[in-house]
Amino acid sequence: MSTQPAMVNRYRWYELIGIYAGILAFLTFILAPFVEGFLVSLKPLSQLFSSPYRFIPQNGSFEAYRTMWVSVPGFARYIFNSFLISTIVTAVVLTLVVPAAYAFARFKFKGSGHLLGAFLAVNMFSGAVLLIPLFRLMRSFGVLNTYFAIIVPGVAFLIPSAIWLLRTYMMRIPKELDEAAFVDGASHFYTLRRVILPIAMPGITVVAITTFIGSYAQQFIYALTFNSKTEYAPLPVGLFAYFGRQEVIWNELMAASFVGIAPAMIVIFFLQRYLVSGLTAGAVKQ
Amino acid sequence: MFQTVTASLARLIGRAAPKGSLFFYEWAASPAAGDSFLGQLNLKKVQKSYGTFEVLKGIELEVRNGEFVVFVGPSGCGKSTLLRMIAGLDETSSGDIMIDGKRVNDLPPVKRGIAMVFQSYALYPHMTVFENIAFPLRVEKMAEDKLKAKVENAARILHLDQRLQQKPGMLSGGQRQRVAIGRAIVREPKIFLFDEPLSNLDAALRADMRIELAKLHRQLKATMIYVTHDQVEAMTMADRIVVLNAGEIAQTGAPLELYHKPANTFVAGFIGNPKMNMLPVVCKSVGPGGVEVEYQGQSATIPVEVRGGLVGQPLTLGIRPEHIQFGAADLVMKITPSVIERLGAHTVAYAALNGEGENFCAMLPGSAAIRTEETVSVGVNAADCHLFDTEGIAIERRVELTDVDMGLLKAGAV
Repeated sequence: MSTQPAMVNRYRWYELIGIYAGILAFLTFILAPFVEGFLVSLKPLSQLFSSPYRFIPQNGSFEAYRTMWVSVPGFARYIFNSFLISTIVTAVVLTLVVPAAYAFARFKFKGSGHLLGAFLAVNMFSGAVLLIPLFRLMRSFGVLNTYFAIIVPGVAFLIPSAIWLLRTYMMRIPKELDEAAFVDGASHFYTLRRVILPIAMPGITVVAITTFIGSYAQQFIYALTFNSKTEYAPLPVGLFAYFGRQEVIWNELMAASFVGIAPAMIVIFFLQRYLVSGLTAGAVKQ
Repeated sequence: MFQTVTASLARLIGRAAPKGSLFFYEWAASPAAGDSFLGQLNLKKVQKSYGTFEVLKGIELEVRNGEFVVFVGPSGCGKSTLLRMIAGLDETSSGDIMIDGKRVNDLPPVKRGIAMVFQSYALYPHMTVFENIAFPLRVEKMAEDKLKAKVENAARILHLDQRLQQKPGMLSGGQRQRVAIGRAIVREPKIFLFDEPLSNLDAALRADMRIELAKLHRQLKATMIYVTHDQVEAMTMADRIVVLNAGEIAQTGAPLELYHKPANTFVAGFIGNPKMNMLPVVCKSVGPGGVEVEYQGQSATIPVEVRGGLVGQPLTLGIRPEHIQFGAADLVMKITPSVIERLGAHTVAYAALNGEGENFCAMLPGSAAIRTEETVSVGVNAADCHLFDTEGIAIERRVELTDVDMGLLKAGAV
């Protein structure tokens, strides 16, 4: 076998230049803020407002990564909170969504189409629109200033997209597998547990990752509204601690942002191992 | 006595030549046996409709214990639907499905005592071959040692012993199909259902699997119902063939019975390859020797069971391509072949007869000296011809089939 790419993937030299130039332009737009953020975290505070502005830090150091823990002592707690909230949200979403997606993918029942449409409609409302009614609801239940107040709306707003994602994945699992299990005497739950769940693992992983990231990102708004206690504050709220009365400690803020993302990155790398393709190979003749 | 056989069924699995086989055959074929049998299936006026569209129109069928019955028909004739209804995957609109004299319409598949092999294999890709075969036993929570013995036994029958720890993705098509069959046999069902199990295999493998399945049937002695659109599979494996056409049973009978005495033009055209030629003829007279028909100035007396009201009627003469020969015969035709297929053993010639649209097809010896666009004269003997009335219903042939063992025509003979 030659190492040449397949015929459909062969391009002329000017096409290749065009492709890579395009990739470069897009990547610059996406990655520039991250690069700049990282460079800022390396600079001493005084250099940030120097004129003319220099992108490359002079005598840069990782000093901010040490001082950030000192200037905001509760920072570890904020990371833990974020992590805890996202983990619980993901776990709850998965336990609810897996059977629901299976039902939507396999059973024909009255109103299933409308229900799916309703889920999509819920997704169209941003959580922000519903903040005030949610706040009143939380207050009358007396759950303000608890983890519960941040977790429940998070779960509610992440379920619709998770159901849509997983339903689509499960519909691609051949129906004959369910029928074969049914003929062999397996109940729906047995089939779900022993047959569908293992095969749907890549799909479930994708849902888990998107839910975890989604929860990590959206908890800010709920935490800000429904919680005023510092010990329950998650990372995005915690970052405000670097906004001092006089000035913003930008370099530490950037350092804290990068450190705060780290646990989420680790979880995603861990989950990625389950993203194996071709898991259904040999199930049915395609 | 029957209980003994029932109990020994499990032990029979895996033995190439069970001792009681002769007895078993007599027992299965005995007409007086009634319906106390294990693995007997009765369909009573079974109907299926989707909305106003009737897929199956009142199917009446009796499948005896130990029989290998093949449902065959063109696609869309309802054969798969019928199988799925017997399996309990599709609901029955009306009528009764009886297994061993018990109405099973509302029972789930397991309670019916059936096992099904799907066209697409439907293997669980994340499980090993062992776990795939063991799945039905795991569902019924069988003890581990008993389960292991059963799975290994099934694997031995199907020559999968070496593959037990592999995943289905690593197996070939034929092996996957055998795993699917293994999953069916471990449960020791009363009735096996096969839904076009070989249609995904290539031609050579299909021929091998056909033989394997026929062997398996002899080994297990279980009732098997097999759905296919391939008449070769039907002819080679079946004890009895059920030909379905547009939701109705066109004919039921042993393979050779269908070949020699098709009940109507549909069955005549469907069974046999290449297709039977149908020629329009007119009935001239009816005599003790059969029906005298006229075809393009020639007349021949076809030996069929005579009935009244035929004289003057337009009839259809059926001629199988393999009965056409060179030279003198009762009916002679001049054909100019437009396409000739040389298969080695045979030569198949296609010609438009008298400018008619339909291809006239003749199967001649392998070394037949014919060329395209060169007119030859071929003929057919009256005794080989089939005759159908205006409705397409066969006028029964007087079978003078000296070369056919009449015992083979009896349904159920293995």
